[in-house]
Amino acid sequence: LFYMLYLTNVKHVLCFQRVALLVASDIDALCACKILQALFHCDQVQYTLVPVTGWQDLGTAFLEHKEQFRYFVLINCGANVDLLEMLQPDDDSVFFICDTHRPVDVVNVYNETQIKLLIKQDDDLGVPPYDDIFRDEDDEEGGDSGNESDEGSEPSGKRRRFDEGAVERRIERQRAKREWEARRREILFDYEQYEYHGTSASMMFFELAWVLTKDTKDMLWWAVIGLTDQWVHDKITHMKYVTDIATMQRHVSRHNHRNEDEENSLSIDCMRISFEYDLRLTLYQHWSLYESICNSCYTSCNFKLWTLNGQKKLQEFLADMGLPLKQVRQKFNSMDMSIKENLRDVIEESSNKYGLKDIRIQTFGVHFGFKNRFLASDMVHATAALLESTEKDESDSDNFIKALDSLSRSNLERLHSGIELAKRKLMAIQQTVASCICTNLILSQGPFLYCYLMEGTPDVKLFSKPIALTLLCKYLLKAFVHSTRNKRCKLLPLIMAAPKDVEKGTVIVVGIPPESETSDKKNFFGRAFEKAAESTSSRTLHDNFDTSIIELKTDDRSKFLDALITLLS
Amino acid sequence: MFPYIFIGLSQAEKSTMPTKNVVEERISKFKNKGKDPAKLREKRISVCVELRKAHKDESFLKRRNITLSSLPDEEALDYISNDMVAVLPLDEIIKDVNSDCKESQTRGCQAARKLLSQERNPPMKEIIDAGLLSRFVSFLGMDDEPTLQFEAAWALTNIASGTTWHTQQVVEHGAVPAFIALLASPMLHISEQAVWALGNIAGDGAAYRDILIECNVIPALLARICPDTPVGYLRNLTWTLSNLCRNKNPFPPLSAVMQVLPSLIQLLHLGDKDILSDACWAISYLSDGDNDRIDVVVKTGIVSRLVELMSHEELSVMTPALRSIGNIVSGSDLQTQAAVDAGVLKVLPQLMRHSKASVQKEATWALSNIAAGPCRQIQQLITCGLLPPLVEQLRNGDFKTQREAVWAVTNFTSGGTVEQVVHLVQSGALEAIINLLQVKDTKVILVILDAINNIFMAAEKLGETEKLSLLVEELGGLDRIEMLQNHDNETVYQAARTLIEKYFSDDDVVGVKVDSTDDSFVFKTSDVQRTFEF
Repeated sequence: LFYMLYLTNVKHVLCFQRVALLVASDIDALCACKILQALFHCDQVQYTLVPVTGWQDLGTAFLEHKEQFRYFVLINCGANVDLLEMLQPDDDSVFFICDTHRPVDVVNVYNETQIKLLIKQDDDLGVPPYDDIFRDEDDEEGGDSGNESDEGSEPSGKRRRFDEGAVERRIERQRAKREWEARRREILFDYEQYEYHGTSASMMFFELAWVLTKDTKDMLWWAVIGLTDQWVHDKITHMKYVTDIATMQRHVSRHNHRNEDEENSLSIDCMRISFEYDLRLTLYQHWSLYESICNSCYTSCNFKLWTLNGQKKLQEFLADMGLPLKQVRQKFNSMDMSIKENLRDVIEESSNKYGLKDIRIQTFGVHFGFKNRFLASDMVHATAALLESTEKDESDSDNFIKALDSLSRSNLERLHSGIELAKRKLMAIQQTVASCICTNLILSQGPFLYCYLMEGTPDVKLFSKPIALTLLCKYLLKAFVHSTRNKRCKLLPLIMAAPKDVEKGTVIVVGIPPESETSDKKNFFGRAFEKAAESTSSRTLHDNFDTSIIELKTDDRSKFLDALITLLS
Repeated sequence: MFPYIFIGLSQAEKSTMPTKNVVEERISKFKNKGKDPAKLREKRISVCVELRKAHKDESFLKRRNITLSSLPDEEALDYISNDMVAVLPLDEIIKDVNSDCKESQTRGCQAARKLLSQERNPPMKEIIDAGLLSRFVSFLGMDDEPTLQFEAAWALTNIASGTTWHTQQVVEHGAVPAFIALLASPMLHISEQAVWALGNIAGDGAAYRDILIECNVIPALLARICPDTPVGYLRNLTWTLSNLCRNKNPFPPLSAVMQVLPSLIQLLHLGDKDILSDACWAISYLSDGDNDRIDVVVKTGIVSRLVELMSHEELSVMTPALRSIGNIVSGSDLQTQAAVDAGVLKVLPQLMRHSKASVQKEATWALSNIAAGPCRQIQQLITCGLLPPLVEQLRNGDFKTQREAVWAVTNFTSGGTVEQVVHLVQSGALEAIINLLQVKDTKVILVILDAINNIFMAAEKLGETEKLSLLVEELGGLDRIEMLQNHDNETVYQAARTLIEKYFSDDDVVGVKVDSTDDSFVFKTSDVQRTFEF
């Protein structure tokens, strides 16, 4: 159950108004955006789409559109700050926020007039009760007057004489107020300490479409991609992923059931979504099996492919499967049909022998017409590569549009170009991981691991982008955990820094939580970064919607790190 | 509703003349303004008056309570059991107060006083509507019933602490002469309650203040100051005196001021912080006026004590002392000089770096007025090291302080000598005000553009205009000024355009300049160590 009322409200309100659609730069947001665009199209709602890459962007976009628009829909941005405080909007601006960022700022939660949050009700927000964090000013009226906290202000022209009992009561009340405030600080500290993610925005919008009986297969596919993005980029726990996959599976069967007749007559432009228990081998259907194994995080880490021994093990593994090397190294498309037929079972069997117990995972695939088949994770990698393309000097919004395009099935060419980019990106990640591990670039700083990519490292430009660097960070930490023998280090979070803007002399810094099977994916670096920057007056820019990603002046790196170490020790 | 009034520009704003003329007109106004700091100050004063008035209106509603009083504690007044008092309902109270029996009267009066002393919703209107005020006032005169006198005085005090309407009810029932008579009571706590009540009446506004003065309240109050008056009593007394100095339109009569001043000066030499605070506030009210008013204060010789109190550890003392001195330096050059001679410039740097933003702002405001003085005073300002804190405020102060700091720069550049202006630029002020051109406040932008213009006029005298142009460009000022040509505000647009046309349009000149850029700038920023002479 989610806020059905809100959702239908949204629809109601938005139907008759022009809407400004502010969309963050992540795959889930793009998918949610596609779904919403399709809904708007259905209802002929006029809207303006504005991609936003960070808080500054969001502020500018708001300023530029606040005159013409009353309604703003924010996708994957805006929930985790006091939005009204930040944007200072007029009283009649209304914000519909569908954002996975947690924790949601308490003011946003309790402001119901201007901030409309679209949140799944079974997402446990853990928001502190209203009375614990807000107090009506009236309650303080007595305690406030006459207390000399605003010392140095002009004395009052008139004074009433209270009886002594009242004075004591006032003192008592002030003490209670101070206690309440201390408790409030504590509650808020606990609440805001960790950053994490809730249900994917595209799933939220899909369910909205479903409630309105306007859902289509395309929308369903986008919702699947959005959810898969959260898994690929490690934003949600494994449990959450499995639960949400189950939800999506129900929708998929519903749709497939509904269109059973059509299914039998596959046509060139038909679309079929299917639940799969498929391999965790990235892009393998668009690559060679061999390259996919080498560049997938799961296999690479488990075999430790950066070691000679690992390479040897891989060869043994391939031999064990009994697949000819020639077949394994050629394009998947060109592999013998006979091999492909039960490939997944063959691989799973051998994997089990080699300790890769969970090489298969619940996911979804799609058929476009006869020959185009994609896994949801293929889509995520391709779209992410387009979104953060560093190919030419294209602007962020160009990349945004291209990435958005690649999600339409009418634009398979774009998708294929994205897949090629994604392969290059994955190889770059794999090489960087290997070289960082082999040259011991990961340093234990005490409370966390730290790795700095120097200017001049191959492909370093790729990693100036937040999604790419975060992915590298995750792969690197997994690889490190597999390779180190130091038990303490296995439990540490990782901070990575890479050159961001050489001219400005800045680095991009990302912090991720420790790697473990049961990780709750909660990230405390956001708060820590803020504190460390504050205490050292480091020149930082906290512009990313993820607070654990910041920009930092290269010169301030060492004092910033020192402060972080002290803070977290 | 921005309180600053900026003469030169607001007139230009109205002008429909072609740009060129406007420019000249503006410049001529500019010079005039530079030559007439007194006029400039006047404007600044009116500004601050408005600011302060707004502030006062806010704080007016606040009440404060002084716990340390010489008045007897509630518990000490145990002639009637508290329990009995507390439960009386209003109609009982009315009956008791109106009865002829002294004991009932006392009981009713005390119950009423208790209700009026409760923190929440004291039933002022109910008690007034019940017609009890005339009874209370009549109780004030019963010298043989001190308890009744005291309870009535307290009840009336609290009613007078309400809104103007409440105070009016008290006054119209004839409480003023009764309270003044009560000041002479041999019972200290009764006399003190009368002081408090009179303070509330005086605090209502100029009209009641002057009525009290006409009733000769001042001599009656001052008669109670003697060496063995308890501190608590003196605190109430000082506060009441400060209310008699407070409010304008009109100011309190000069004769009354002259009467109060000697005692205020005396109180200012005591050690109690509450007394000092209220006495300082009194002085700040008295000095918040035209130069004649300021003169009365300066002539008492209190300036050096005020400067001393600016360093007082208590914020509640330091703030009004700073305000008073701020008022005094907004006066004539001579009055300003009195403050300078008393060492105000030695104290200001630390106040400009005070942890409280409001203190920084007041200190910077005072500095801006000293900077509006003759170049001799500007020189003293430089010598005492006021430029570094000024530049710090321009860079990092909160916006209200930055606004004052910008004024200081503009005043400085319009009255200072060429050498002094160069010194200011070298301290980093130019860079800082250029950075401030990004603010949204139109008036501040105009004041900054004015300052830049002044600096260019100084450069002109040295024949260094082009060097300055280059420096401004280097500091990013040209970009900002160019941007301002797109400003919504017509006056800003004009001012920006004038600057550009005058100092940045000639390409040839800039070309010629290039050779000399590297080494020699008179106008250099603080962090660039290039040496040049004028």
